[in-house]
Amino acid sequence: MASMVVVQHKQPSSTILSSSLSDFNGARLTASVQPKGALRVTASSSKKILIMGGTRFIGLFLSRLLVKEGHQVTLFTRGKAPIAQQLPGEPDSEFSDFASKILHLKGDRKDFDFVKSSLSAEGFDVVYDINGREADEVEPILDALPNLEQYIYCSSAGVYLKSDYLPHFETDAVDPKSRHKGKLETESLLASRDVNWTSIRPVYIYGPLNYNPVEEWFFHRLKAGRPIPIPNSGMQVTQLGHVKDLATAFIKVLGNEKASKEVFNISGEKYVTFDGLAKACAKAGGFPEPEIIHYNPKEFDFGKKKPFPFRDQVNKLALNLINEAQNGMLIDSLSDDHYVSIVYDECSISLPRLRRQRVCSRLKPEFDLVEGLTDSYNLDFGRGTFRKEADFSTDDIILGKSLVLQS
Amino acid sequence: MATAIASSSSSLIFFSTSLSSYSLSPLQRISLSSTSHHSLSSSLSISPSFLALSAKSPRRAVSSFSPSFAVRAEKKNVLVVNTNSGGHAVIGFYFAKELLAAGHGVTILTVGEEGSDKMKKPPFNRFSEIVGAGGKTVWGEPADIGKVLEGATFDVVLDNNGKDLDTVRPVADWAKSSGVKQFLFISSAGIYKPTDEPPHVEGDTVKADAGHVGVEKYISETFGNWASFRPQYMIGSGNNKDCEEWFFDRIVRGRPVLIPGSGMQLTNIAHVRDLSSMLTLAVEKPEAASGNIFNCVSDRAVTLDGMAKLCAQAAGLPVEIVHYDPKAVGIDAKKAFPFRNMHFYAEPRAAKEILGWTGTTNLTVDLKERFDEYVKIGRDKKEIKFETDDKILAALKVPVAV
Repeated sequence: MASMVVVQHKQPSSTILSSSLSDFNGARLTASVQPKGALRVTASSSKKILIMGGTRFIGLFLSRLLVKEGHQVTLFTRGKAPIAQQLPGEPDSEFSDFASKILHLKGDRKDFDFVKSSLSAEGFDVVYDINGREADEVEPILDALPNLEQYIYCSSAGVYLKSDYLPHFETDAVDPKSRHKGKLETESLLASRDVNWTSIRPVYIYGPLNYNPVEEWFFHRLKAGRPIPIPNSGMQVTQLGHVKDLATAFIKVLGNEKASKEVFNISGEKYVTFDGLAKACAKAGGFPEPEIIHYNPKEFDFGKKKPFPFRDQVNKLALNLINEAQNGMLIDSLSDDHYVSIVYDECSISLPRLRRQRVCSRLKPEFDLVEGLTDSYNLDFGRGTFRKEADFSTDDIILGKSLVLQS
Repeated sequence: MATAIASSSSSLIFFSTSLSSYSLSPLQRISLSSTSHHSLSSSLSISPSFLALSAKSPRRAVSSFSPSFAVRAEKKNVLVVNTNSGGHAVIGFYFAKELLAAGHGVTILTVGEEGSDKMKKPPFNRFSEIVGAGGKTVWGEPADIGKVLEGATFDVVLDNNGKDLDTVRPVADWAKSSGVKQFLFISSAGIYKPTDEPPHVEGDTVKADAGHVGVEKYISETFGNWASFRPQYMIGSGNNKDCEEWFFDRIVRGRPVLIPGSGMQLTNIAHVRDLSSMLTLAVEKPEAASGNIFNCVSDRAVTLDGMAKLCAQAAGLPVEIVHYDPKAVGIDAKKAFPFRNMHFYAEPRAAKEILGWTGTTNLTVDLKERFDEYVKIGRDKKEIKFETDDKILAALKVPVAV
């Protein structure tokens, strides 16, 4: 977890540090006034944060982390879901603390005039855009907040151009025709505007309260004692990341100079085959090893129904260059040189060559796959909650034919 | 007439050479991949070649600070004990040349006899390049290593030969007694236990009875400073064993490429220069490398289908991929196909994290160079019998264009 100092006093949203704020990992900064830009205010000061969305999945965890860090957090939603919903396993005292602090700005983000006027009236330091899909949704926000410190966007690893050569690194080519092109256009817009932005590209997200029936699909079948039908070889590989790890990543880039105008792939440390995912779900729920049936989807007509929660292809695998501390090292050395060169170029104050706090230290996930699925099971499906009712109709079509595919 | 049939839904993109079909990310970075960066590096310095040029603000351009921060690594005397055949032979060849270029002393001890037939094949038939660069080449048996080397001593030893302790022990014992400071071993990523959760990363469970595991254990107990490197597959000029050639052979003759299973199996095919650079970094950062296992591979996976397509792309020719079930056809996939019929994919995370290593393998580019050499030596015109392929095709009743 990132170690950050939360400063209790109100911090003006400027980039000039006063000498009273100085402790970063014990290294006291001696210069009194830093030239603008040389040292940014980091996440240690309390900020006024707006989350676009925040009541569905990622935002539930992210908003809590931000509130715990001492920030003032507002959720921009249409108000269809309650602003504060107690999470499974969340102690009452924690929930009531959260509920007492979380703020609501009610509106429709597609109403661009309203977005612009309400946001500029309020003023925010940082925007987390969790539910944005199209570039035009971002413009009114940027127009409303000219002094915005950071725009943090939830993009998607779906933007990468399909490749036989995986995993994707953030520098890989993207596909302007993909299903996620709205995300791509948003990133391009952010890059073209004079704003400090950060984009996070998750792969598949899972965890308690997942609205996308990923693990839930497997749990339904495991609970019912049914075989798990998996298309083709079952060797197709995908990658899942726990929602809490994603929320943590979102926190780590807040106020982080190293995240400025950067893209990060965020997902689990390992990939998993479709077969492997079925087995991992079984382990997570304490079920016996599942019976897996492979089938050729081309031999069936499922109508509009999806027989399997993943697309049958070589799925996106995305590794983040930061996830491997080679880049942690790269960034440390980069920031040292970089820090040195900025200082020399901009203000010729010779600051001690501090080993700056590794602000973007390894974004190492907390959960491995079985641990993460266990967390999801214990807090959600295992308690009897799920989003979609079990529907085994496509399974029965497959099993009715009793076809076992030769691998 | 053979046509390109992509076996997965991914497209004919591999055909198009124009860039108009996709756009570059606005965040495209160019990293300076210097092949000689290591000659400036040490555990203290920051080599400018690690910096990445970013498309962002000009302030992020490469720093122009003086390279006097860089400390030249001290000269080492390195012994490479090299196998006389097989996929790993080429590693010692590249490593020797890279060390020599960086100013280190190198002796390469190849197993067997200088006059043997095996020495007529690459990389051995190019050992003049090692000698020309100032290196020494000797031949002999590892069991007699002390005698073979006539009392010479070394700072670093790389055993790129043994697959089990019986073969490596005499080398390790001699190294220990003669005061070698750093012992490096070429192991194998094949020792990892198969997993549903690729990739294999350092620390993952290995097969306890694997010969290489016994060696790793022994050297970890014997040497204060040791490291083990686990490679997969390699391409590169001077390779002793076919890799990409298997695909080229079929593609240039318009024959189908027969791939067992789904073709989605992940594998790791590295240009041998990546392995060499990792080993060189370990020599130049011995404290950092000490006590570690390193997956000695490129930083990307390719599927078996993907490799076929990339080879075709490099050749500028179409490819027809045919999948088959080895069991159903009655064939031993190990004999029919040069790669493991399973996900076999390790990632070089320790090297990146601990040594600051970066991979440079880019199959799209590297295979082009390989294909050019394939044609240059006339292998595309060579008469080749495809008995096993024909057997499989007959069993599948797939017609072959003659």
